[in-house]
Formats: sequence, C-alpha cells, structure tokens
Amino acid sequence: MSNEEKKFLEVKGLKKSFGSGDTRQDVLKGLDFTVAKGEFCVLLGPSGSGKSTLLNILGGIDSADEGEIRISGDKLADMDEKSLTRYRRKHLGYVFQMYNLIPNLNVKENIETGAYLSDNPLDIDELLKILGLFEHRYKLPNQLSGGQQQRVSIGRAIVKNPDILLCDEPTGALDYKTSKEILQLIEEVNQKYGNTIIMVTHNEAIKLMADHVIKFRDGMIRHDIINTEKVTAAELEW
Amino acid sequence: MDKSSISSGKRPRNPLLKRVWKDLRRDWKRYLMVWLILVLTIGFVSGMYVANNSMIHTLDENSELMNRESGHFLLSGKADSKVLDAIASGEMADVPAVFRERAYEKAEEEVRKAVDEAVAENVTEQVRSAITSQVEAAADQQIAAGMTVTDEERQSMIDTALETAMAENFDKAVTDALDEAKRSEEYSDAFADAMDKAKKEIDKEIDEKYSELADRYDLNEKSDPVPVDISELFYKDTDEAISGNDGYTGTVRVYSQRKNVDLFDIMEGRVPENDSEILIDRMHADNAGIGIGDTILAGNTEFEVVGYASFVDYTTLYESNTDTMFDALTFDVAMVTEEGFSRIRSNTRANYTFTYKEKPADEYAEKEMSERFLRSLITQVAVAEDEDLEIKDFVPAYMNNAMTFAENDLGNDKVMGGVLLYILTAVLAFIFAVTISTTLEQESSVIGTLRASGYSKGELLRYYMSAPLIVVVLAAIIGNILGYTVFKNVVIGMYYNSYSLPKYSTMWTPEAFIRTTLVPMILMIIINFAVIVHTLRLSPLRFLRHDLKRTKRKKAVRLPRWNFFSRFRIRVFLQNIPNYLMLFVGITFVMLLLSMAVGMPETLTYYQGSMADMMFAKDQVILSASEDDDGNTIVPENADAERFSVYTLERKSDSYSEEVMVYGISPDSKYIRLSNGFVSEAKAGENAPVVISQAYSEKYGVHEGDVITLSEKYEHKDYTWKVSEVNDYSAAIAVFMTGEQFNAVFGKDEDDFSGYMADSKITGIDEEYIAKEITADDMMKVAKQLDHSMGAYMTYFQYVCVIVAAIILYLLTKIIIEKNERAISMAKILGYDTGEIASLYLAPTALVVFISEFLAMYLGFMLMSVFWKVMMMKMGGWFAFQMSVSGFVKEFVMVFAAYLIITILDFNRIKNIPKALALKNME
Repeated sequence: MSNEEKKFLEVKGLKKSFGSGDTRQDVLKGLDFTVAKGEFCVLLGPSGSGKSTLLNILGGIDSADEGEIRISGDKLADMDEKSLTRYRRKHLGYVFQMYNLIPNLNVKENIETGAYLSDNPLDIDELLKILGLFEHRYKLPNQLSGGQQQRVSIGRAIVKNPDILLCDEPTGALDYKTSKEILQLIEEVNQKYGNTIIMVTHNEAIKLMADHVIKFRDGMIRHDIINTEKVTAAELEW
Repeated sequence: MDKSSISSGKRPRNPLLKRVWKDLRRDWKRYLMVWLILVLTIGFVSGMYVANNSMIHTLDENSELMNRESGHFLLSGKADSKVLDAIASGEMADVPAVFRERAYEKAEEEVRKAVDEAVAENVTEQVRSAITSQVEAAADQQIAAGMTVTDEERQSMIDTALETAMAENFDKAVTDALDEAKRSEEYSDAFADAMDKAKKEIDKEIDEKYSELADRYDLNEKSDPVPVDISELFYKDTDEAISGNDGYTGTVRVYSQRKNVDLFDIMEGRVPENDSEILIDRMHADNAGIGIGDTILAGNTEFEVVGYASFVDYTTLYESNTDTMFDALTFDVAMVTEEGFSRIRSNTRANYTFTYKEKPADEYAEKEMSERFLRSLITQVAVAEDEDLEIKDFVPAYMNNAMTFAENDLGNDKVMGGVLLYILTAVLAFIFAVTISTTLEQESSVIGTLRASGYSKGELLRYYMSAPLIVVVLAAIIGNILGYTVFKNVVIGMYYNSYSLPKYSTMWTPEAFIRTTLVPMILMIIINFAVIVHTLRLSPLRFLRHDLKRTKRKKAVRLPRWNFFSRFRIRVFLQNIPNYLMLFVGITFVMLLLSMAVGMPETLTYYQGSMADMMFAKDQVILSASEDDDGNTIVPENADAERFSVYTLERKSDSYSEEVMVYGISPDSKYIRLSNGFVSEAKAGENAPVVISQAYSEKYGVHEGDVITLSEKYEHKDYTWKVSEVNDYSAAIAVFMTGEQFNAVFGKDEDDFSGYMADSKITGIDEEYIAKEITADDMMKVAKQLDHSMGAYMTYFQYVCVIVAAIILYLLTKIIIEKNERAISMAKILGYDTGEIASLYLAPTALVVFISEFLAMYLGFMLMSVFWKVMMMKMGGWFAFQMSVSGFVKEFVMVFAAYLIITILDFNRIKNIPKALALKNME
C-alpha cells in the first residue's frame, strides 16, 4: 500500500462546538487520525461522544470549526456547496440508522436512486442478489422487514460504488440476528468492492471485525487502534 | 482490492421521474381536484379569449366587408345634391363670405328700393309743385287780362286746370324727372352712401354671429379637407307591436333596403322581397319572442317577419347615442323594401352616412378627422340655399355606442377573465405550495438522505416541481381544447344573449393559449419554486434531523389552564397557522366571487324595485314649448305639479363622458328639498354654488365644498360650480339649482321653464307640446338590461363558487389531517375514538372557517364594491353595490354548506387512518 493509500483520509486538529456563551458545548476537541484506502474503520463511543458529528463532517453535510480533512489529498474545507455535493455524489455512500427509503418506490427503484448518481454504477440485479433482495425487488419498503429495508439502504449507498461508505449506527434499530446479517453484508461489500468503510457505532462487539478502531469519549480520541486480529462478522457475539 | 471482478451496470434513468407518476397516482384525489378547477377555469377563460378574439376579429372584418359607416348625421330634411356634393368634398364653406354676399344682395334691393322711393317722393312733389305753380300763374294771367272772378271762382278755375294738367303731363313729367334724377350724380352718391351704411351693419352683424359660431366649433382653424362618400340611410321611427301579443309595446327603427353602406348579416331567414315583408334584429326578436313568419306592426302597417339580421351599425341596440344603456328589449332595428318603407306612415328621418375616402390610421386620427369633417358639415349646411336645413345629430363611428359598446365590452371581459384566471391560479399555486411544503416536511429524512448521497438541490427542485407542473400543463391542454370547443360556445352564447352580433368564424388565436397556458404555468412555477427553493436551502443535516423551521421556537407557547381538549385544539391551531392563513385567502377569494354572484342580482333587483321611490317625482314631463300657439303658458291639470327646468351637460373624462342633468327648480320645491342656506346663496346668480345628487357624489367622490366642472356637449364651453350640498336623490347623476339661477346660467328668460314634475300622472297637457316624459321605466333601463344580460348566469355562478369553495377546503383540510396522520394514529392506539379525534382536529378548522367567512364576507363585499365602481364608471348613471342581510346569510350558508360536506369526507379520512401507521413509522 502506498503512502498515499495509507493516508487516504486524513483528519488534523478537527474541532467542532455547538451553541455559544454559557450554552457552548465542545463536541469535537481536536481530532487527528488517518484512514487507509479500503479500510474498515469503526468509530466507537457512547452517545454524545461526537462520533456522529464527525461522520457528518466527513460526509460534507456538516462543517468543522477548526482543523482540516483531506480525502485523497483534496481538502474538504476548500470546497463550496456545489463541489461538496459533487464530492458526495462521486465518492460517498451513506447508510443511516433509519433507512429513509422512498415509500412509493419499490426496492429496485430505491436502489436506482443511488445508481443514477454514478456514471458507472454496479449491476443492480447482481447487487440485489448479493443483498438477498432479488426476490423482493418489486416490493415497496413497507412490505419489507427492518433488516430488509436496511439492506435496501445499503444497496442504495453502494450501488454507485463509492470510495467511502459512511454508516451511522446501521444496526441501531435492528435485532441481534438482523444486525449480524447487516454487518456480514457490509463486510462482504468491503471485501468485494474494496470501499473504505467508516462505521459509527456504540456496539463494542463490532470493533472486532474492523481493520481500524477509533475510540471516542467527550469529543476526543481515547484510542486509535489498528486491529490485526480481526474476526468475521459471523463470529461476533454480544 | 481488485475491482476488475465487479460488473458494472447501466446508469438508470432518474428514478425520481418514475416517482412523479407514482406521486400523482398516490395522491390522485388532490391532483384531480386541482386539475378540475384549473381545467374549468382555463377552459372558461380560454373559451372567453377564443370567443372574444374571434368575435372582435369578425367585427373588425365586417366593418370593411359590410362597408360600415365612418359616422352619420341627421338633417332636418332631405338635402339637395348640391349641398350633399359640397359636404362630400369635405371642404369648409366660407360662411361669412356667402352670408355677406347674400345679405348684400338682399340689402342692395332694399337700399335701391328705399332710395328709389325717396327719390320718387321727392321728384313727385317737385313735379306737383311745378305744375301747380304753372297752373296758378296761367290763371293769374287770365285774371290780370281783365277777367273778373271771385276768389272761389279763381280756385275752382285753378283746380280744374290743375286736374287737366296733371292728367295730361304729371306722369310723363315725373317719369322724365325720375329718369333724370337717377342719371344724376346725386342719385348715385346717395345709393352708394346707403349701401355703405347697410354693408357696415351687415358686416358687423355677420362678424358677431359668425365669431360665436366659429368659436363654438373652431371654424377659424384652417385644416385640410376631409373628403367623404355620402349615402342616404333614411329611416322611420315608429311604434312596434306584435300581432297576438298585446302586452308588448316597443319602438322600431325601420330602414329602407340597404345597398351600399352599413350592410348586415342574415342570421336566419332571408331579406324582404315585397312590400309586406320585414327583416328585424335577431337579438330583439329573441327578447320580444318574435318568430319568423310572425306579423309585427310598424305604426299601423303590418309586416311579416321573414328573417333575423345583425346590422353592422347596430351590434348593440342603442336607440339614441345619448341613452345611458342599450335596450334590446323594446327597441328594434328593421329593414324593408323601398315600397314597404313608403307604406309606413311616419316622418322620414333624413339620416346620411359618411365614409372617409382615406381611412384614418388610428383612433386619434379618426377623432381628428371627425372633428374636421364636422366643421365642414356645419359650414356647408349653414350656407345651404335651403335656409331651414339644420343638423339634428352628428355621431362619428368611434363615438357611436351602437357600434362600439359590444366590442369594448368584449375587450373588457377578456381583461376581467384574465385577472380571474390569474387570481385562481395563484390561489391554487399557493395550495400546491402549502402541499409541497407539507410533503417536504414529511419526507424530510428522505430528502436529507438523498442530499447526503449527492443529489443536488436542482434535481430535487425539478422533482418536487414536476407534479404541479404536469397538472397545470395537462389542465392547460385539456382546458384549451374545451375552451376552443365547448366553452367558446358557452361564452359566445352569453354575448349573443346581450348583443346583436353577427355570425363569426372561430379564429385560432395564440393569445388564448399563451395567456391560459404560459401565464398559469409561470405563476405556478414562480410560487412553487419560491417555496421549494426556500426549504431546500436548508442543509441535508437539518433535513435528516427533521429540523425545517427557520425560526426555532425557544419554548412552547404556554396555554391557559383550560381543559385538555381545548388546549389540544389550540395546539392544532398553532401548528397549522400557515394552512389556516391559506384557508382564509381561499375563502376570501370565493367570497369575492360570491359577492358578485349574490350581490349583482340583488343590486339590480333592489334598484328595479325601488327606482319609483327614488325618483324625486314619479312623473316628469319636458315640454317642447312653454307657451301654446295662442301664447298662453302651458299648465297641467295636476294640483301637485311643479315647474322645473332641465338642461343636459357632460362630465367629460377620457374613459367615459357622462351626461349630467342640470335641474332648475323652485326654491321651495316639495320634490327636491333645498336648504334655506342654499337658497339664499343661490341669489348670487350664475356663479352661485349648486346641489348635487347622492348618485353624483357617490360615483365621482364629490362632496360638499368641492368644485365640479361640466361642459356643453357640442361646444367648448365649461361650467364650474362649487358644491354646496349633496341631495339624497340617488336615481341619477344630477345637479340642482334654483330656477332663477338656472335661467341666469343658461341665458334664458326670467320666467322660462322646461316642464313639470309631479308624483301623480301629469295630465291636461296637449301631446303636441310634450317633448319627453320621464318615468321610472326610463330610469331603470341600465338595471333591466344588466339583469337581462347577466342576471341568469349569476345563479350558475353561485353554484360554481360553492364547488370552488368545497375544492379549496378539501385541499387544505386534507393537508392538515395528513400532517397529523401519525399523531391521529397514535391517539387511536391510546384509545381515543374517531369522534373525539375528529373533534380535536376538525373543531379548530371549523372555527377558522367560521371566522374566516365573516371576515372574508366583509372583505369580499368591499372588494366587490370597488370592482363595481370601476364597472359603473364606464356606464351612464349610478347605483351603488347592494347586499342585503339575507344576501350575506346566503353567502355564509353556501360556503359553510361546502365546508360541512368536506367535513364528512374529513371525518371518514380520520376514521380510515390505520392504527398501524404510528407503529410502522416508529420502526
């Protein structure tokens, strides 16, 4: 891996606060870390530790007060709104805790909303098979289970084959079994398509399947660990 | 990681486009409602544009094809060809020169006669004296020669000799002496002196008279001649009766066969072929129920109706150009053969049409040409050899209501229709915008996700704008198709019900399409664009957090300690304030339309019913002379009759010049009460202030202390008066002053008057002295004609308003319920029954509708009063917009009934919200 690939995502001195005066709350208090290309990185921490805020800043839908983020050498802060939209369109995939599917589009069409954004999207039918949704491709979201809906949302995010897949508590609303299935899917996607995955979670168990674990507390990085003994998602227990 | 094993697919078409159709299907009821309103409005307005444009085009074309006159003038009698040729030349006659020449000729005769008489008298006396002297001398010679005579004998001798001498010599001597005298220089000098004196007097008199005439008609202004073609278009005005319909009496203006000018369009039947056949106006035939084959009486002459026509110079049936309103109910225009014309026993009116040889470029040129032509007409008639020939009327085409009123009305309706369409489109666009705003709120997280995934604002904007645009485009297409086919006929039917319009050919005008398609689309785009862009400016994160409010409420509004249900309802109200504002705007719009639909018939009925009471005297007779042939003042039998004077002036304005009746009345009149203060002020004479009628004050916003200026119709003479009082007379635009002041102002004799007024029917005046009788019927012409033209449509319009109200209410209450679907579902889970939930969510809306109706009723009435005034400003007379309490109640009930129907639908909507909805969304 080249040095450039090792520093695919580079965060330096990142700070963010909300409110002002007495109500000012420092959410991120100066973060420094790097993520390598194709790495499965988990941002771990309790609620309110600032991990979702970090994810939103990395996704270009929120901005930092101080510090800089570089992706493949491009500085995020230099981008105007249009460039940020283009950046998200070309390089990012988003998966949220709530699936946020379009209710009156069927499974395939929901995935097409992602495919449309790419000039070179993945083959949708093949992806549907990988997601285990091929049989359900003509169903509407309200005809699916929560796990299936989250699969659709992952499909929508990865169909454009993004460089980075940002996942914000993707298993937060799911039961143990479904969560594991989703984690297996993300793992499979990571392995098959080689996207860099940054996943926010408060589930300690998930860190075991990551290449890189960044532990948060009170807006600061407590631990930045490269996991050399990672396990498969199937082996996870909590 | 090796990506080469990954198979790529094709980039799909924008799936959001697919979603647009799905959105339309999912929400078909809402879109259908909006679509329906738009189709109906666009259809009707498009129909109006097509009908109006086609008809206006036909009228324009017909003015050429049917050789419509440039104007006409009515003379006191038939003019000879010399006069007509002179008029046709368009050149002004040198009136003073002709008058002078004629006066000189006349004067020369008279002067010569006078001089000759004087000379003859002189010469006769001289000859008589000479002969007498000779006879006396001869007698005295004989006496001197010795003849003895008494004095008596001498005188007798002289008398005898004188008689003989006179008989033998006098005549010859006088003739010789006269001849000699006339040959003398003295005679010539005397004649020349007398002629000089006479000429001076003539010149002075002609100069004085001509300069007055010249001032009045700008005759001194030198201008190019306006050559015209002149045609006879004689007519006879006579009573019209319909055989078998005793209740009908009207007036028919019968023309002889029209050949060259002011032709006509046969609407049904044929032209008369023999002296007992008649062609009548189609509109009047409709109104009076005269069928082809029926017999009508023109005076006492029977004719069989063989056809209906639209005469190019009578598209609107104005009997006289000074009438305040046309009258297609009792006034008819007809045409018979020349033989048929001579059968009618009535005075032939010497009406002549003129057509400019060189067509005026525009209206201004036409006005200027008509003024020039009038000058030439006045001078040519003035110098006509028939000194009794007078101009009785002069109406250029552009001022002829019978020709222009319908066309102007068509034009005005187009403007009104356009405004109505744009207001309704704006209301609908706002409803769409509110709907979209609600949708954006509901889909907040989806939008956030799409934006976070890289969808641009433009892409989302285009998506959210697609549905309203598709609806408006489809509505415009279907509306235009309906406009060109169905509604065009509806609108044209309305016009055929008022005016005598010709057959028309539909003109495929792009104006209708542009105005009814492009403009609503642009309105829809602008309003929706503004709302969507405003919301989409928020960051994706705020969408993801459902944080769409720009101003964050710091704290929840604290409510008084009312019971839970009341507080809940207030929360619903507070949550939906924007929707309720929209509801208020929608209801105001409907109330404005309803004000017209309910108020117009009410106003017309009110005025028709109370006109007799509003007139200051129920009967008014205007006399043609104040004294009868024997020189006795004409007096009616009625004890309650009162003298008055009346004169018509004009309140000039660019848009509409209104005729104003100026009355001179007795200071202690019992019909028009004048205050003592005013009567004493009036003694100042012609410059004293005046009293105006309530109608004048209301129509033109003139109040006590203001100054009014009225003008002579055909002269450049203005009268300016200060308004002293406003009289409560509201039946007409009138000015009152004392009879004394009136006679001073208009230069009349001190005891001059025009007629009598009384509350009882005026009797005892020979008909030959009655010039005009004014009754309540005459005053109601405007109200009657408006009622006939528009009254019937107003009932339908009321139903349309209720439907529009129902649709607007449906759309807005749907939004309120949809917004709260999840909460309603949760309330159901908690155990509230549908009735309770409905009372929570529907009661605030009911209250808002209730209050909005009251406010909107007032606003609608006020707005309608303004529109009404604008409309009345283009017509003669005045009646204020009226709305009775029952009218307001009717409006209220209609809209509330619409709301109640919608409430039933809303109740069912609430009933059908599944409990699972709350749970499912909470997953």
